[in-house]
Amino acid sequence: MSKNTVIKVEGLSKQYLLNKSGAPKSDTLYGSFLNGLRNVKNIARKKETEEFWALKDVSFEINQGDRVGIIGRNGAGKSTLLKILSRITPPTYGRIEYSGRLASLLEVGTGFHGDLSGRENIYLNGSILGMSKHEIDRKFDEIVAFSEIEKFIDTPVKRYSSGMYVRLAFAVAAHLEPEILIVDEVLAVGDAAFQKKCMGKMEDVSQNHGRTILFVSHQMAAVQNLCNKGIYLKNGQLVEQGLIENVIPIYLKSGAQPDSKSFYHRSDRTGSGKVKFESFKLLNENYQEIDNAQSGSDFFIEITINATEEITNYVASIGIDDDFGTRITHLSNDTINQLPSVLSKGTSKVLFKIKRLPLSSGIYTFTLFSSSNNEILDWLQDAGKIDVESGDFYHTGKIAPEGQGKIYLDYSVSIL
Amino acid sequence: MCKHKNINFVFDLANNKIIIDSKLNSFFSLREILKYKSLLNNLAKRDFLVRYKQAFAGIMWALIKPLINILVFGYIASKINSSADTASNFVFVASAMLLWQLFANVFNDVSNSIIGNSNLFAKVYFPKIIIPLSSIVVCLVDFTISLFILVVLFIFSGQIIHWHIVLAPLFIILTLINGFGIGLYFATINVKYRDVKFIVPVILQFGMYVTPVIFPTDFYLQRMPQWLHGVYCLNPMVAAVDGFKYAVFGNPIAYNSYYFLISLAVAFLFLVIGVKYFYKFERNFVDYI
Repeated sequence: MSKNTVIKVEGLSKQYLLNKSGAPKSDTLYGSFLNGLRNVKNIARKKETEEFWALKDVSFEINQGDRVGIIGRNGAGKSTLLKILSRITPPTYGRIEYSGRLASLLEVGTGFHGDLSGRENIYLNGSILGMSKHEIDRKFDEIVAFSEIEKFIDTPVKRYSSGMYVRLAFAVAAHLEPEILIVDEVLAVGDAAFQKKCMGKMEDVSQNHGRTILFVSHQMAAVQNLCNKGIYLKNGQLVEQGLIENVIPIYLKSGAQPDSKSFYHRSDRTGSGKVKFESFKLLNENYQEIDNAQSGSDFFIEITINATEEITNYVASIGIDDDFGTRITHLSNDTINQLPSVLSKGTSKVLFKIKRLPLSSGIYTFTLFSSSNNEILDWLQDAGKIDVESGDFYHTGKIAPEGQGKIYLDYSVSIL
Repeated sequence: MCKHKNINFVFDLANNKIIIDSKLNSFFSLREILKYKSLLNNLAKRDFLVRYKQAFAGIMWALIKPLINILVFGYIASKINSSADTASNFVFVASAMLLWQLFANVFNDVSNSIIGNSNLFAKVYFPKIIIPLSSIVVCLVDFTISLFILVVLFIFSGQIIHWHIVLAPLFIILTLINGFGIGLYFATINVKYRDVKFIVPVILQFGMYVTPVIFPTDFYLQRMPQWLHGVYCLNPMVAAVDGFKYAVFGNPIAYNSYYFLISLAVAFLFLVIGVKYFYKFERNFVDYI
């Protein structure tokens, strides 16, 4: 271990054995009785299991003061890695060495008990996170001030609003002073202003106090803001590590998973059904399938439809909502006068091209609607999601501040 | 589940360096427990505060439950066991019952403690042994409160305090060891097989009748063949209850002290097995919960 290295991970692997032939769940009393008998009978016999490697041969080193973003898709092994580093679960193979006090925030408010007061919960949660009583005593006032709940400090937390609860929980966590801090996506809670406060606190801790931070998030903008190094995991394996500027593009480029994104199973639709939406894909400017769109880049929404007969005046529209369900915009081939003369029977593809996507990072939901001559053909509420990663909309190498609105305008500034 | 058995963490405190290695074993470390003593305190405090919250009678329940048991079984004992007078029957039953209830609470709480607090160690690392240890504290507080009953009965029945009383704490500790050792074993099984929550009450119910709670040990021994005496004393609570009665009332243990030693040995054997078993699987609890 070189002098600057605080964490050294060598050949880390984690295997889970999944029960393949688990007895089918039974809803009836008689059925669960039979299951019980079967289990007792099979207790000696080895169950059929399937191996699953959540992490496979992952090695890296982290230097003191690094702020490392761990990125990857769901199921890539990010959480498993954090859990092993936090000593919550042991590795199957491999070795980790680290020096200094390590604290992990995989959740805010671990151990909070509804019946206990805010004050009691601060002590309980603090001690769970590894703070001594003396340490909590010393920081108590600061924690209460940070959480902004002075008035309710002796009220049981079950009477708190969810916002107050989260603020108190984060306030305790924010006052931990470990040399290494591991943070899972806990910041995805609370309102925007509080999130910002938390991010500020974390940046302060790492930059001004030289602490090492490992941070997992799906929000590339947050990772880019906070981290200087990145580790990209895919299917349990380390794909790329290095400076965050180099790792994020590699992550964004890889995408294209054979995820079906189909609507066949959706029965909650309205309309005559003469034309039905079948599936959708997001494509980048080179017509390659992507998982996430990126602000400022061109992309396509490709919708596969199936018509049972020829249709005239086919109108297809997409309504895009933000995460609060507010309609942000509406796209339709009718509005821009691009109706097909006739839609032929069978499968077709409707391609919406969106130029320089002016939406900021976040998850958007869209609704699909189609009609013809005032007849509703198919209407699918909340048909799918578009995950937008932050990107360089203005081609300036800068990213607009996080939490500053949903849309980008093409603008210029003159000072006269 | 991982088939790899030798996994865990080592603390090189001198270098302030922590090594997590798939090839290292986990073990009982008093130093680590002491490092987390504020967590132990806070968990115990939580359990205590929450236990009687929103209960009208509150802490009185720590008195009511054992009191009812003592009245019922004391009455039965005085009807059946004619070798002692009614008052001393009640006092004997009370002392044994309180100790048995301490054992039952510790056993039950410890065996449920791990799954009851899985939300904690699924998110944060700390030595998991802290959880069952903290649940002992609450049981001990309840026990201390319920001792009040014994004191009152003691005075009423006109008993005199013997110097043996100084030995009483030893047998209370022995009871804790019994409950903790067996409880730890069941807590470990409980992680994978939730059948434990059904088994424990059965064991406790049965256990009370093979422990000198209602009747003294010689009452049992007189009624069984010689060869069963040794088997009877395999019950580790026999030594604890008889020892406690000896300490409180000063009446000597009327049977072969060899049996007393068997019972004592079994208690410590259970503790060792419980702790070993717990540490063998402790690191993988999260993967099973």
